[in-house]
Amino acid sequence: MTNRKTAEQIKEEILSCLNEQPSSIEQIRIKIESNWSTVNSYLDELSKEGKVKEIISADKAKIYQRVFGDTYFDLPITGNERKKFRALFSLIIKKYKDVNMTPNKTQLAKAAVNVIKNPNSELELPVAEYLYGAVPLMIANPSEEYTNEFEFNNEQKLAKIIETYIKETKYDSMKKIKEKNHLNYCDRLYSIHDAFLKLSEEEKWNKEKIFKVLNDFFIACPIDEEFNEIFLFTQRFVSTVRKLSYFDLLENNKTKILLTFEALWKYIATYKFYVSMTNRINDKNILNLYLGNAISVRRMCAEESLTDLYSIYWSKIDKREIKPAVSLNEISEIMQDWTGE
Amino acid sequence: MNKDSFLDTNVIVNYANYKEGISKEIVGKCYRYIKNKSGRFIVCFAVMRELENIIVKFSNIYKAVLKKLEDSDYSLAESKYLAKRDMPFAEKLYVAFKDKEFNKTKEMFAIERDIFEIEIERFLKSNVDLKVIPLEQIKIELVNTIYDIIDNYADCQIIASALQYRKEIKEGFLFVTADKKDLNPNGYDYLKDYGMLKNYEFPELHNLMFIK
Repeated sequence: MTNRKTAEQIKEEILSCLNEQPSSIEQIRIKIESNWSTVNSYLDELSKEGKVKEIISADKAKIYQRVFGDTYFDLPITGNERKKFRALFSLIIKKYKDVNMTPNKTQLAKAAVNVIKNPNSELELPVAEYLYGAVPLMIANPSEEYTNEFEFNNEQKLAKIIETYIKETKYDSMKKIKEKNHLNYCDRLYSIHDAFLKLSEEEKWNKEKIFKVLNDFFIACPIDEEFNEIFLFTQRFVSTVRKLSYFDLLENNKTKILLTFEALWKYIATYKFYVSMTNRINDKNILNLYLGNAISVRRMCAEESLTDLYSIYWSKIDKREIKPAVSLNEISEIMQDWTGE
Repeated sequence: MNKDSFLDTNVIVNYANYKEGISKEIVGKCYRYIKNKSGRFIVCFAVMRELENIIVKFSNIYKAVLKKLEDSDYSLAESKYLAKRDMPFAEKLYVAFKDKEFNKTKEMFAIERDIFEIEIERFLKSNVDLKVIPLEQIKIELVNTIYDIIDNYADCQIIASALQYRKEIKEGFLFVTADKKDLNPNGYDYLKDYGMLKNYEFPELHNLMFIK
């Protein structure tokens, strides 16, 4: 006689199946040896309970993803990694408390990255580049009660690394902490991003300095055949801002320029997150299930913003003469025969 | 009354590239053709899309050279940014600028790109009278027939657009190009007699390469 599984058992099996990767009802049905309508109805319940979410829906081909709620984009981490992260966060909070401080989200996340990236910590925990720099894949939340659920065999060494970090950064503003994180653990694009924002805060924009930073951004921006809009949009942003300056003061268009830069940055940062995860999730189809929507939305927003900025530039183009400096002749001579065909 | 001109991409690119006292004859001819405008200027959407691609290609050349200037180990030949036919231009730029101050070079390259793009965009904004044949209206079978002879798909779309427009307006105009390869007078005559293209009336070829 076979024992019938209880509803809770089936739900647990579905969740465990979705721990590995997003799956269709059919894939889950096969794995847990159940029938389609049973899996479908339990997925409905789990969805209402907020434990899973439908990420693709086309007629009957629905694909579900597990909602962990504690990782970026609900990407899966192992149980052991979760315990290590929680124990690490707990240790960091404790060390901050030792000096009468309560860390905020940025401090907790950046301190965790500092420990993980320190070769002496011997911690193999996933870190990704995202909007504000390198972050632990598990979201650092200082208001959560983290407990010491993992016993590190080098806890004293970890504590020492954390103490040093707190000592070095305790008087730093959040901006400074992020900048240090960008400089130490991120692609140089992040530091160039910081430099651009810093210059944009000045009341009177220094065109020469802004252009220098934009030139660096143009060079540092990656070209990726799979995401060719990353460079395409960056090139478009840099060139539109530069060209606009021939017809109008950049300060007059400050808000639009900054909004466009922000939209572009969100797209680039989501792409960087994707790239950070390729070592962890080798199958790009699966990675796309987790991140595809986010990248696509960011891309659309960046494109929309760029079109908006471009339309401002377009409206300002007039017939004023732009005389190229004689120093450009050498380039012009080389490029004379180039027609792009 | 002067005939209208349906402009090929290369004429506009040469126009944008023109520099007094430096430019070669054909570049100067394209520049003067546009400056001394007579009749209306017609541009098809395939040319506009091609111009966008050319702006990106132009940027890619500079990006690759800057990468190489920044890091001499970087290989232009293995660059993901460069089309093969753009390589000689990138190499020449690299040789010319490898000993110059990097920050100045970055800015000079950027200004060169600015001016090139502004001239193209200013031309599109103030000199073009008609924008014709949206991309989705280009007849694929017509493009495919032209592709039997001309191996550049974008060029085929531009020629197909010109033929369709000619059919639409039932009025003569000039197809103005600076192409030295496929659209020389003989090549153009050959096209006229090829397959289904016989059923189309061709605009008059005005190839600035072959006009004194």
